[in-house]
Amino acid sequence: MIRFENVGLRYGNGPEILRDVNFHVLPGSFHFLTGPSGAGKTSLLRLLFMSLRPTRGLIFVFGENVSDLSAAGRAELRRRIGIVFQDFRLLDHLTTWENVALPLRVLGKKEGDYGEDVTDLLRWVGLGDRINAYPEVLSGGEKQRAAIARAVIGRPELLLADEPTGNVDPVIADRLLRLFVELNRLGTSVIIATHDYGLMDQLDAPRLVLYEGHLEIR
Amino acid sequence: MNAVHLIADIRDYPWRNLVAGLLPARFQPKTALIVPSASIAGNALTVVIAIMSFLACLTAGAVYMVNQSAEAWVKDISSEITIELDPVNTADIEKKMTLVSLFLAKQAGITHVKPMTAQDSAKLLEPWLGHSDVLSALPIPRLIAVEIDRSNPPDINAISEALSQNFEGVTLDDHRRWRAEIRTLTRSAALGGIAVLVLVAAATVAVIVSATRSAMASNHEIIEVLHFVGANERFISREFERHFVGLGVRAGLVGAVSASLVFLLMPIVMQMLGEGPATATEMSRLVGTGELDLKGYLFCVLVVFVVACLCMITSRLGVIRVLKSYA
Repeated sequence: MIRFENVGLRYGNGPEILRDVNFHVLPGSFHFLTGPSGAGKTSLLRLLFMSLRPTRGLIFVFGENVSDLSAAGRAELRRRIGIVFQDFRLLDHLTTWENVALPLRVLGKKEGDYGEDVTDLLRWVGLGDRINAYPEVLSGGEKQRAAIARAVIGRPELLLADEPTGNVDPVIADRLLRLFVELNRLGTSVIIATHDYGLMDQLDAPRLVLYEGHLEIR
Repeated sequence: MNAVHLIADIRDYPWRNLVAGLLPARFQPKTALIVPSASIAGNALTVVIAIMSFLACLTAGAVYMVNQSAEAWVKDISSEITIELDPVNTADIEKKMTLVSLFLAKQAGITHVKPMTAQDSAKLLEPWLGHSDVLSALPIPRLIAVEIDRSNPPDINAISEALSQNFEGVTLDDHRRWRAEIRTLTRSAALGGIAVLVLVAAATVAVIVSATRSAMASNHEIIEVLHFVGANERFISREFERHFVGLGVRAGLVGAVSASLVFLLMPIVMQMLGEGPATATEMSRLVGTGELDLKGYLFCVLVVFVVACLCMITSRLGVIRVLKSYA
C-alpha cells in the first residue's frame, strides 16, 4: 500500500530532517509513528499525504510512484486517504456538520445521500449536540473529534492522524482509539503519530520510531 | 482535454451553484459557500468591472450607431447621381439642361430627373459665399439630380459615356468618392471602437487576475483543507470562479443598464444640443437620430456575457496557476 525507499527530506538548504527512510505499510495494518519532538513525524505524515515532495528516494502510495503523478493524480489518491492534523484545520465559516461533510461534498455526493451518515458519526464521536456549532465555539477536544470525523467520513483506505488524542480526555481518547481500531478492522490501514505511550500500550501494533531523522520499526 | 472530457466537464458542472453565485452574498444559500463571498474582494472590484462594462457598452453602442448612420447615408447617396453641366462656352445653358434631362429620362433604371435652377445651384454656395447678387454673375455649374431605381439600377458607366459623347462639358458624379470616404470613416470608427474594447477587456482581465490572486492568498487555508480532503484543481477553481462570474454578471448588468440609460436619453440630449452651436442636422449626420435600436441594445447584453466569460476564464486560469505552485 505504502512503500518508502531511501527517502530523504530537507527544507531548503537546511539539514536533512529525514534520512534513508525505508518502510512498508501493508493493507489493513495498524502502525504508531513516534519519536521525540522535532524528529520529523509531521514531515513524514506530509510525505505520506503527498503535500511534500521528498528531496531524494522513492515513495509509492497505492502502488503509484508519487513523483510520476500529476496534480490531478495526487488529488485522486488523497481521496483514498483520511488525515487528522494536530491543528485540526477546520474551516471557521462552516458548521461542524458542514466541516465533516466536506470530503463527501468534494466527491460530488448529494447531501441527501450522506446527511444521515454525517449526523450519526458526529453523534458517535460525542458531537451530536454541536452539529450546528462553528469551530470558534468548540473546545480543543471537540475540534479534535470533528477533525477525526472529517477524516474518517469517506471510509478512507489509509488513515493518517497527527496526535489525534492530544487534546482530549482519557475517556474520549479511548473512544477515539476504538474508532480507529474499528476502522482498521473494516480494512482501513491506520498510522497514528503520537507521543502518548499510554495510548500505544493499549494496542499491540508495530511502532515506527523516528530518531534524528532515521526510522526504526519496533 | 478531449471531447469526451469536455462533455463530461459541461455535464458535471455545478450549474445550480453557478446560478446561486449570481445572487448577492446575503441571498446565497449558506451550504453552497465553501469559499465565503466576504473573502473575495467585492465592492471595489464590482465598481471597477461595472465601469469597464459601461465603457464597453458605450463604445459598442456608439460604433454601432455611427455604422448604422453611415449605412443609411451611403444608401441615400447611392440611390442618386448628379449630372454637372459646365456653363462656360455654352450658348444656351437652359436648352442644354432640357436636352440632357430628356436624354436621362429615356434611360432605363432612372426613376426621376430633376433639373435644378440656377438659384438652386447658387443656394448651395451660400454657406461659403453668402447671399449676394454676385452669385448670379458667376459661371456656377448647373446640376441635374437623378434618382435611380435601386432594384433595377442603370449602367452608370454607359450613361456617363453616352453623355460625354453627345454633350460637351457634361459630367456624371455617382458619389463614389463620398461613399468611399464614408466607408473609410466608418471603418476607422469601428477600428477605434474595437481598440477601446480590447483595452477595456485587457484592463478587466488585469483587475480580475489581481483580485483572484488576492482571493487565493486570503483563502489559503481553505484551499489547503480542500486539497487535504481530495479536491482537485477543477473543484477548487469552480468554487472561486462562481464568485467571480456572479460578480461579473452583476457588475456587467449595472454597466449595461447605465449605458442603456445614456442611449435612451441621447435623443433628448441631442435635441437640447441642437439648439446650441451644434445643429441637430450636423449631429444627426454623425450619429443618426441618436436612438439605439433593439440590435444595438443586444450588443449591451453581449457585453455582459463577454464580461462574465472573461471573469470565469480569468479566475479559473488564475486559480489553476496558483494551485500549480502547490506540492
